[in-house]
Amino acid sequence: MKAKRRVVTSATGERPGLAKRRPTVRRIKPAIAPVVRRAPDIRGAVSSNSAASATSTRISAAPQKPVATAPDVDVDLSVDLGRGLVLANPILVASGTFGYGTEYADVVEVQRLGAICCKGTTLRPRIGNPTPRVTETPGGMLNSIGLQNPGVDAVIAKYAETWAGWQVPVIVNVAGESVADYVEVVRRLEGVPGIAGIELNISCPNVGKGGLQFAIDADAAAGVTAAVRRATDLPLLVKLSPNVADVRPIARAIADAGADALTAINTLSGIAVSPSRLRPLLGNTYGGLSGPAIKPVALRIVYEVSQVVDIPVVAIGGVTELADVLDYLAVGAAAVQVGTAIFADPTLPVRLVDELAAECRRRGLTSFAPLIGTALPKRAAAPSSKGVEYRP
Amino acid sequence: MRLAGAELLDSREILPDQWLQTYHAPELVAGARAGQFVHVRTGDYSGLVLRRPFSFNTIDTLAGTLTIHFRTVGRGTEWFTRLRPGDRVDMLGPLGRPFEVDPRTQHVLLVAGGLGIAGVRSLADEAIRDGRQVTLLFGGASARDVYPSSLLPDEVEYVVATDDGSVGHHGFVTELIPAYEAWADQAFACGPLGMLRVLSSLAASRGRRLGVAKLGRKRGAGRPVPAGSPLARRKAFLQVSMEQNMGCAVGACLGCVVLSTAGAPQRVCREGPVFASEELDWEGGW
Ligand SMILES: Cc1cc2nc3c(=O)[nH]c(=O)nc-3n(C[C@H](O)[C@H](O)[C@H](O)COP(=O)(O)O)c2cc1C
Ligand code: FES
Repeated sequence: MKAKRRVVTSATGERPGLAKRRPTVRRIKPAIAPVVRRAPDIRGAVSSNSAASATSTRISAAPQKPVATAPDVDVDLSVDLGRGLVLANPILVASGTFGYGTEYADVVEVQRLGAICCKGTTLRPRIGNPTPRVTETPGGMLNSIGLQNPGVDAVIAKYAETWAGWQVPVIVNVAGESVADYVEVVRRLEGVPGIAGIELNISCPNVGKGGLQFAIDADAAAGVTAAVRRATDLPLLVKLSPNVADVRPIARAIADAGADALTAINTLSGIAVSPSRLRPLLGNTYGGLSGPAIKPVALRIVYEVSQVVDIPVVAIGGVTELADVLDYLAVGAAAVQVGTAIFADPTLPVRLVDELAAECRRRGLTSFAPLIGTALPKRAAAPSSKGVEYRP
Repeated sequence: MRLAGAELLDSREILPDQWLQTYHAPELVAGARAGQFVHVRTGDYSGLVLRRPFSFNTIDTLAGTLTIHFRTVGRGTEWFTRLRPGDRVDMLGPLGRPFEVDPRTQHVLLVAGGLGIAGVRSLADEAIRDGRQVTLLFGGASARDVYPSSLLPDEVEYVVATDDGSVGHHGFVTELIPAYEAWADQAFACGPLGMLRVLSSLAASRGRRLGVAKLGRKRGAGRPVPAGSPLARRKAFLQVSMEQNMGCAVGACLGCVVLSTAGAPQRVCREGPVFASEELDWEGGW
């Protein structure tokens, strides 16, 4: 299929995240709201301050009107991640695994993706970590790229114009070593045509605070989120780290600080040993584990988080087939990102878009909203931090 | 770059644990050049998440076939050895930048360390086709690791060194360089990092030691050559094919870099795998 190209009138001064990103895909009005919104009537009454009292209702319990199963019945895959960031479909590509969207263009119909999260971008250029930087592990891989990137100004100069001509929204993944870093990067991205949103990678050391990651502390995570929120009107996604004891208070703090959506998860910390057994394998010793091996962990985190926040959660971790997408939707995700699997199967994300539509059609659904949250408990489940096997 | 199915035609263990496989993949072979590579998906989807990169060992454009040569080093490569003729694999390619031979070069010196032969092998065919004389210096641990001369074109002068002296020169392949460096117009190498490092320092001092002018002195002398350009490689006496662990092989993940002399990371899959030796930082500057 040929990608549809949308004409972007570049000099309007409009922010791309808003009016321009209205998708062209809504051809039918489904019986119920097709997208997850912040409206409490969809998400149920969720107390965002108290985990113990957090109750959760299934998203969209309304009965779905069955549709005559014409093979070409139109399925609305669009999803609203907040602040006008409406994606044509819920299949995104994960930061660091799809470059800047141009690298795979020869073999992937890039315009058919829900969105592209570009490589982590910092204020100044970074040359990244010593090699080896990647190695395969059972069911996954470790990477320690070290956020190699040319810096925000070079990213804008090199790619923004290309992105502005694309139909697919590009979300810039932003990393930093201090709150001021994050804020400055986001300021420079603000108002640049072609940039549809921000994904904050907060799994970075806060140099001012003894190098502890923003992502592992609710106050630090909320602090950087709030500061960035004040600096931009762009849709703001914040990416959670799995390397914490209890992710829920952190997720809630980030939501309260003004994030439009959460993405989860970033990689799990791990190491590999060199074949000689004389040193760790990766040049940087530590790497981030990704791929199918981390899916149960990511699934657990999405499950926990989607019960305690009322903003959309975008699931990431080991998606390799439609069943993974459906699992993530079932535990409350509004969309998913595909990462490592792209390396093996670059056309997978676009295929998942088609397969998800076909699955909805097969079930007589005009949108995928009824697939969201079906595996969530009626009452808030005990978090995994209470212990996995031992129940008091 | 294309994504295409490739059918296995022939699979042979040519040396202990070393395999040579022929695939029919006309879409990938069209336009492919010596030095480039393919990224191949293993069919073991039970947990292998990465493709495996293989150099074009030989390219037959007319027949639409290519060969790959590899050693079994883990589950991924072992999976390939279990394929049978008729089986299909999914290949991405051609990837990376090729060797660039200066049009005036008459004498081509190829230097291969062990499996590095797979990186320079197809350049022998290309150079002979273009009417050049080719000498291949091969270094291996012992006789059992030596690439069979029967798999080389007759026109190639083949010189072997082994670490244990069981065949050919007793010692490192780099020790053969002094006998050939005056003859050679250009050299092309692939192999272990230690070997490439020695070769690069020999190449750097070659002009001074031999009192020979660098290729490219006359034409366009003094004009700056953009780093990483085909011209930069074409003008270099020594071009090396680098190896690095890879994720995507298309330049997206930044997993595969080596450092340039300017301290900038270069992607082996995109700016490489072939580099002019003087473009790279051999001291490992991180
Ligand atoms: C090579 C590589 C580079 C990555 N770089 C980034 C990055 O720059 N910023 C970020 O937020 N996440 C980065 N990630 C994490 C992914 O976006 C994703 O969260 C993680 O890989 C889990 O998804 P997966 O199992 O589908 O790969 C990277 C992952 C890989 C494998
Ligand atoms: S392997 Fe991904 S950039 Fe080279």
